[in-house]
Amino acid sequence: MPLLETIGVKVRFGGNIALDDVSISVEAGSVTGLIGPNGAGKTTLFNTITGLQPLSGGQIIFNDKDVTKEPPHKRTRMGLARTFQRLELFTTLSVRDNVRVAGEIRNRWSLRTPKMDINAETDRIISLVGLGDVADREVGEIPTGKARVVELARALMIQPTLVLLDEPASGQTEEETEQFGQLLRDLAGEGLGICLVEHDMALVMQVCQTIHVLDFGRMIASGSAESIRNNPTVIDAYLGAPESVG
Amino acid sequence: MQTFLQYTILGLALGGAYFIAASGLVVTYTTSGIFNFAQGAIAMLAVFTYWQFRWGWGWPAPLALLMVLGILAPLLGAVLYQVVMKNLRGTSEVTKIIVSIGVMLGLQALATWVWNPTSSTPRQFQKFFGPKAFAHVGSLTIPWHIIISFGIAIAIAFGIRFLFVRTRSGVAMRAVVDDPELLQLNGGRPERLAMISWAGGSFLAALAGILIQPMIGSAMSAGALTLLVIDAFAAAMFGRLRSLPRTFMGALIIGLTTTYVVAYFPSKWTWSSAFHNSLPMIFLFIVLLVLPQDRLRGATVLRLRERFRMPSIRTAWIAGLTMMIVVFCLKVIMAKTGVNTLTLALTFAIIALSLVLLTGFAGEINLAALSFGAIAVMVVYHFGISGTGDGARTTLWGILLAAVVTALVGALIALPALRLRGLYLALATMAFGVFVSRMVLTERNERELFGWKFTIFTAGQLTIPRPKIGPIDFNSQDAFLFLCAGLFVVIGIGMVYLRHSGYGRRLTAMKDSPAASATLGMSVVRLKLSIFMMSAAIAGIGGVMMAAQVGTVNADRFDIFLSLALMMITVVGGIGYVSGALFAGIFLIAFIEALNLLLKKFAVDYSTLEAIFMFFISAVTVLPATIGITMGKNPSGAVSDIVDGMNLVKQSKPLMITVIGLEAVIWALTATEVITNWNFVVLTLANLILVPMVGGKLLMARAMRGVPKPVPPELIGIDRPFTDEDLAAMDHALNLESVVIPSSTTVREEPANASA
Repeated sequence: MPLLETIGVKVRFGGNIALDDVSISVEAGSVTGLIGPNGAGKTTLFNTITGLQPLSGGQIIFNDKDVTKEPPHKRTRMGLARTFQRLELFTTLSVRDNVRVAGEIRNRWSLRTPKMDINAETDRIISLVGLGDVADREVGEIPTGKARVVELARALMIQPTLVLLDEPASGQTEEETEQFGQLLRDLAGEGLGICLVEHDMALVMQVCQTIHVLDFGRMIASGSAESIRNNPTVIDAYLGAPESVG
Repeated sequence: MQTFLQYTILGLALGGAYFIAASGLVVTYTTSGIFNFAQGAIAMLAVFTYWQFRWGWGWPAPLALLMVLGILAPLLGAVLYQVVMKNLRGTSEVTKIIVSIGVMLGLQALATWVWNPTSSTPRQFQKFFGPKAFAHVGSLTIPWHIIISFGIAIAIAFGIRFLFVRTRSGVAMRAVVDDPELLQLNGGRPERLAMISWAGGSFLAALAGILIQPMIGSAMSAGALTLLVIDAFAAAMFGRLRSLPRTFMGALIIGLTTTYVVAYFPSKWTWSSAFHNSLPMIFLFIVLLVLPQDRLRGATVLRLRERFRMPSIRTAWIAGLTMMIVVFCLKVIMAKTGVNTLTLALTFAIIALSLVLLTGFAGEINLAALSFGAIAVMVVYHFGISGTGDGARTTLWGILLAAVVTALVGALIALPALRLRGLYLALATMAFGVFVSRMVLTERNERELFGWKFTIFTAGQLTIPRPKIGPIDFNSQDAFLFLCAGLFVVIGIGMVYLRHSGYGRRLTAMKDSPAASATLGMSVVRLKLSIFMMSAAIAGIGGVMMAAQVGTVNADRFDIFLSLALMMITVVGGIGYVSGALFAGIFLIAFIEALNLLLKKFAVDYSTLEAIFMFFISAVTVLPATIGITMGKNPSGAVSDIVDGMNLVKQSKPLMITVIGLEAVIWALTATEVITNWNFVVLTLANLILVPMVGGKLLMARAMRGVPKPVPPELIGIDRPFTDEDLAAMDHALNLESVVIPSSTTVREEPANASA
């Protein structure tokens, strides 16, 4: 049973069809890639999964439950977290407080939520993702690559079962991307489900077990990294000639 | 039937005029993204100008109309956009709202300045074609101005629709809001289009004003006229600031229901006239309640220009203690009237604290702080006073009860905002404020409810005694001064504690990015509700203190325009800071009064220059609004400038010596009674604020000479050329061996070097 399933998801903006009959699935303990050219509908799909964008049709199943009608915060409380491509950091808080407040929000979900030790967990997450050197800086002052890691740290603070990462590696240096890929594999190894939107094909091919490819709101391919790499439709629409993939 | 038809016709005409005003709001909002609170004030100004031309100077109506509607009104709109609104891109919603409120207050002060309300006979406005009838249908009379009003409304509805849907510039106008940069790339000129739409919106406001004024038939008053057009907000909201047909429908509903109330409510219902006046605001509130939830949005701009640093708790304690000492020192040298004004200023500062808590910490907006004060004052008057005559005292329980009741009323008012974003809460609170002014504070008749007889606002004024808390009697002016100062310090320090708590961080998260907060599992309902209740309670306590300082308060003390001015000045001071609230109280009450006294004294002392000083006295009334309008340039507020200045003073010896020296001179002059106490305050403030600011600028300029501005890494090579250090850093990052190229080398010289 997949952790997350979208069934025939459809989104229309006026006359424009942003997503047309998109069905993807994400398994626990694995990294699933979601690739496609700009404007293919990747972020829109994330928005529908997290509840920020209402559907025109279709269903979202998370943890065996139909969450199509649930508001965003209820879905999160079931274990769904995400990061944003256009950074949505709390710009008046420090890096540490950005991470910490996520825990504080989580501890307040409901009276029954088992409370975490926020100080300890904040420290753990910050060192896990490697933000120790910038932890006390203002979040507006750090480079974009680091800011994306803050988004990930914040998402991890709520102890999710699934995270959706929207272009987490853009703005990172090669070295940072390398570490980041290792981190994703480690997290998946611990049982976390990860869905990754990313343009860095080397990273995607390296960490993803399964890849879904979107183009103009439609899913044009889906399968293992190897099969996607050699899929002629995908090469045509997005990857280009195989040599350039590297 | 006869009555019904006659009133229906009247209602349609009124609705038509409302629609014209509302359509102006929709046009400016859809093209510039700014909700124009000044719409009513523009209409008001147009009415006065038209009156001046038509009846003041006796111009023929067509010429006066051409001048006002054809030239002045569009010009005003265009100038407002070019000079003020254009600078607002990249600022928060709060700043946008405050700036347009600044324009509103400014225009109003200007109108009262030019057309002095007390100096002449009431200004009357006549209907177009006078009382002449356009037609008689049976026994029904249809006057000209009704046909004109309704006819123009319909023409405008079709005209705007045609413009937006069928013409290229109309479609471009709608694109401006969605993505101005994209439009620009496609060859559109968003700035110019927005300016044109502001000219159009201003024209529509002026037209609406000139049509509405003769319908109400009373003498012209700047405040009433401004608020009258604000009634059109309800219609614009009914159309969700987008749909013109819905706006038209909303306008007609308001026009018709208000006239039917006049027609059919029995005259023995003494509250029906107040109800008639507040109906549009009730309608606005209901519309806001049933508006569909808007989509959660992230931060609309990546980095807001507003910047607020939070002081540490230690700093807050030090500042609090310092303030108490300063208040004590002031009390010692001040005359009794001075102490009165200072206390009043502090009570306003307490009310402003509620705004800092709500807006600065949580990003929500309350435009009617004083109306919450009014509620609290009524509670204290009815339930919180013990003793009679000179022995009457406000009890602690009365104050606490008042705080609880205002918190509950606050919860009720915040209901629409739980699902909607900032602008709508601002409008809901404004509707509440106008409602309180028109309906509650006019309640002077005795009512009976379940056998309990009461009068809400007895005789139009309420007397609130000073409090007595436990054994301590705060009846003397000095004791009450310290109570107010202490209350401000306690609440202020409490707020700093709050901001450093988990609750405060969650508030900040909600303010900074609602979308991210929701995807972290935050349910904003309880958080928004709790913060609004807390803020309302503080406003209530401040209101009670204000009333206790004044002694006897009437409805004017809780005027919506005063609330708006307080909000505006708090934002000017720095809405993110406790000290911003102090700034607001001192500036709005004490500084303005001190300045007035000073100018009046000058006018008497130098009677040959009297005219000039009288001009300045009038100019002072426009001053706060003018400062509010400049917010677009400095959205973080004055306090952050002052703090920056103070830090410079700490770092620079010469500056510190200058400030301390000047202050000693001022002290000496006051002690020897060369200058009086308020001049002492003005001079001290000037010394503490202006000297560091000016000195700081000079120092900065000197320090900056030679030191290049830091450039973010991604802009190196664009904002400034690469330096050797940059290249070395990049080589290091890319694990390349450093290739040293002499920095003087340009690309053109390089081959020459290589071959050499």
